[in-house]
Amino acid sequence: MIRRPGSSNGPSPTAVKLERPTWRDRWRRHPPNLSIWVGAGVLLVYVAAAVSAILVFGKGLNVLPMNLMWVNPQYAASPSWAHPFGVMPGIGTGLFRAEWQATPWDLEMVAGILAIDVAIGYFVGAYAGANEGGLCDSVVTFIGDSIGTIPTFFFVIVIFAGIAAASPASAGIPAFIVVFGLVLWPTMARTVRDRARSVAHEPYVDASRASGASRFHILWRHILPNSLGPVLAQIPLDVAPIFFVLSAFPWYYNCAGFGPPPPPPGAGPGGPYLVPQLPPFSPLPATTFPEWGWLLGVGTCEGVSFPGQFGFWWMYFFPLIVIVIFGLAVGLLCDGVDRWRRLHR
Amino acid sequence: MTDSPNESGTLPDRTGGDAGPPSVPPDRRPEPGGQSGEDAPTRPSRAGGRRHLSASTRYVLRRLALIPAQLLFVLLLLYVAFTVPTQIAQQASPDALGFFRGFLQVLVNDFTGNWGNADFLRFHLPWTQVYAYYIPPSIQIALFALPIAAALAYPISLLAGWSRRPGLDAPAQFSTLTGALVPVFVVGLLVVNALFFSYLGWLQDVPNQGLLPTAPWFLDRGGYPSWIIYDAVTQPTGFPLIDAVIHHAWVVAFISLTKTLLQALVVAAAYVAIFFRHARAVVRSAREEPYITGARARGISERTLLWRHAARRVTPSFLLVFALTIPEYLGVQFAVEAAFTDQAGFGNLVFADLTSGILTDIQPLIFLLAIVILVWTFLVDLVALRIDPRGLAGR
Repeated sequence: MIRRPGSSNGPSPTAVKLERPTWRDRWRRHPPNLSIWVGAGVLLVYVAAAVSAILVFGKGLNVLPMNLMWVNPQYAASPSWAHPFGVMPGIGTGLFRAEWQATPWDLEMVAGILAIDVAIGYFVGAYAGANEGGLCDSVVTFIGDSIGTIPTFFFVIVIFAGIAAASPASAGIPAFIVVFGLVLWPTMARTVRDRARSVAHEPYVDASRASGASRFHILWRHILPNSLGPVLAQIPLDVAPIFFVLSAFPWYYNCAGFGPPPPPPGAGPGGPYLVPQLPPFSPLPATTFPEWGWLLGVGTCEGVSFPGQFGFWWMYFFPLIVIVIFGLAVGLLCDGVDRWRRLHR
Repeated sequence: MTDSPNESGTLPDRTGGDAGPPSVPPDRRPEPGGQSGEDAPTRPSRAGGRRHLSASTRYVLRRLALIPAQLLFVLLLLYVAFTVPTQIAQQASPDALGFFRGFLQVLVNDFTGNWGNADFLRFHLPWTQVYAYYIPPSIQIALFALPIAAALAYPISLLAGWSRRPGLDAPAQFSTLTGALVPVFVVGLLVVNALFFSYLGWLQDVPNQGLLPTAPWFLDRGGYPSWIIYDAVTQPTGFPLIDAVIHHAWVVAFISLTKTLLQALVVAAAYVAIFFRHARAVVRSAREEPYITGARARGISERTLLWRHAARRVTPSFLLVFALTIPEYLGVQFAVEAAFTDQAGFGNLVFADLTSGILTDIQPLIFLLAIVILVWTFLVDLVALRIDPRGLAGR
């Protein structure tokens, strides 16, 4: 806490009013560290790409143009000035344009999933930790332990499959966001709970309680701000499974396991090469929908899955690098904010 | 054993907090002195003479009772996920009794092994038989992958977590986050392609066909021997390596060992990235312990501090981290198996089930997976408790 000169005009020393430092004070005393600048800068580039994609492509944002000439991997162009990321066969689009068009959709998905994850996990976990041994605590611990026994991707696909079986029309990206967020929050709540549990026994919380603060006040003023660390540590870890689910199942369905499904003879662009299809429980509406994970799945499929295709490096490299840089930026930002936050204690 | 993870804040413990709040911070809690033996840890005073079970026995019993409860909860959750949307879609009237009966039927089927018939690949067999064929190769990989992972994860986590220099810690964090973000199947495929197709032409047939040589390899040598059925499943044990040794097929055994080692290496490398992110906080908190600072002040070298004093302290916590990340380990192994192998293996079973579009096939898989993970976690917890009974104090 900072004792501000303007606020200490009371008649006696006991009446000195201590104010919490404003954000401007904090900024001046401890300017943000390099991690924050780099992480936020990279994420800003992503947001700028998303906004520009919305402005440039307008109503065509959700459909990738399919150039039939490029569907055959034989004619897939490597990176050049005209196509900086090369050309993706199967989908038949320049990869740079596909990634660019996919940015708003993926940012929406990640932001939505993390928002649900953090909103539920943070508050429920902090409440459970503050009331240790209570009903909420027992329930959160039990649910967290139970859901934690099954791999995340498994749970997400199974629940999403139930929705898709019931009404295929509603099994889109919004449902995927909700399902993924609901599967992720118990892990978040568990980690927050453990921190909140130790915060709840700190002397300053006891002092606050002894001076008559309400439970809500203690939760809001002491426990929530001091339990932010686990949230910031968990957020980057929760980004990875999202893209794993979105890329692994398209890849497996089309290219792995028991071989690619035979292309229909003479039907449309189908030929003696692979035209990727959506797996049964996919949140995407069509194969021409732009999405990073889908592009990575198809790129891995076209670029590496078959023997002797190691030369098609751009098909999986660029989708991969876009996802990895995004995840690293999120990690840097969270790590930097966590270290910056600790300076103000 | 719960103290350091709780301090770190990134590692939850798995107990219901019914032991009451510790009145002192756990790391300042006095060590169990001479009055508490090795197997009888800090005896809670409230136990008094009323209860005759020791604290560890009570903990084990409670933990054991939790397994069926968690299993039931997971099965119920997924049963709801299967049936309720379908019922809503069919606009059937909500029928609590029918729902309950259906769930009971699923439970009975699961437990009695009545898992239905598989129409899976070229099998037209009961699912139980397919599982019996497919699980041993996965166990074979895990038996190689887990020791390799332990041998890598233990020193790496200790060294990188201990270091105060940003030169070691920052790259470790960077590479583990990158390792988590790159899907494992891509890594697996890149390894397969890099090693076997482009650069090393000499094992061209190795990566496919499960843990056995490929079909052309066998065809060149007069077809499959009689102990390999369905082109992929070995008899009598089901473990390709053991069966090859039993039948004195040394070349098959060598190729099987090569493939197993390769997959195990990729699994271990990917798992170390996951493990390190949790274990780092454990080592960090061990570094700040008063007794470490005291020993350092007395002039004990950093190497001794790390490998003698800190390493012993973090071992039970590492075991807890392992127990916590078992589902993630299995996810990694499934993806690697799917990337490497064409045929037998639990990974292919999981991925094929999830992409088959048939929901009813998934029920026994969930059942089996939940049981495996719950029991495995329980056993690791028991070992951790045996090594460091102090953990009971917080439970």
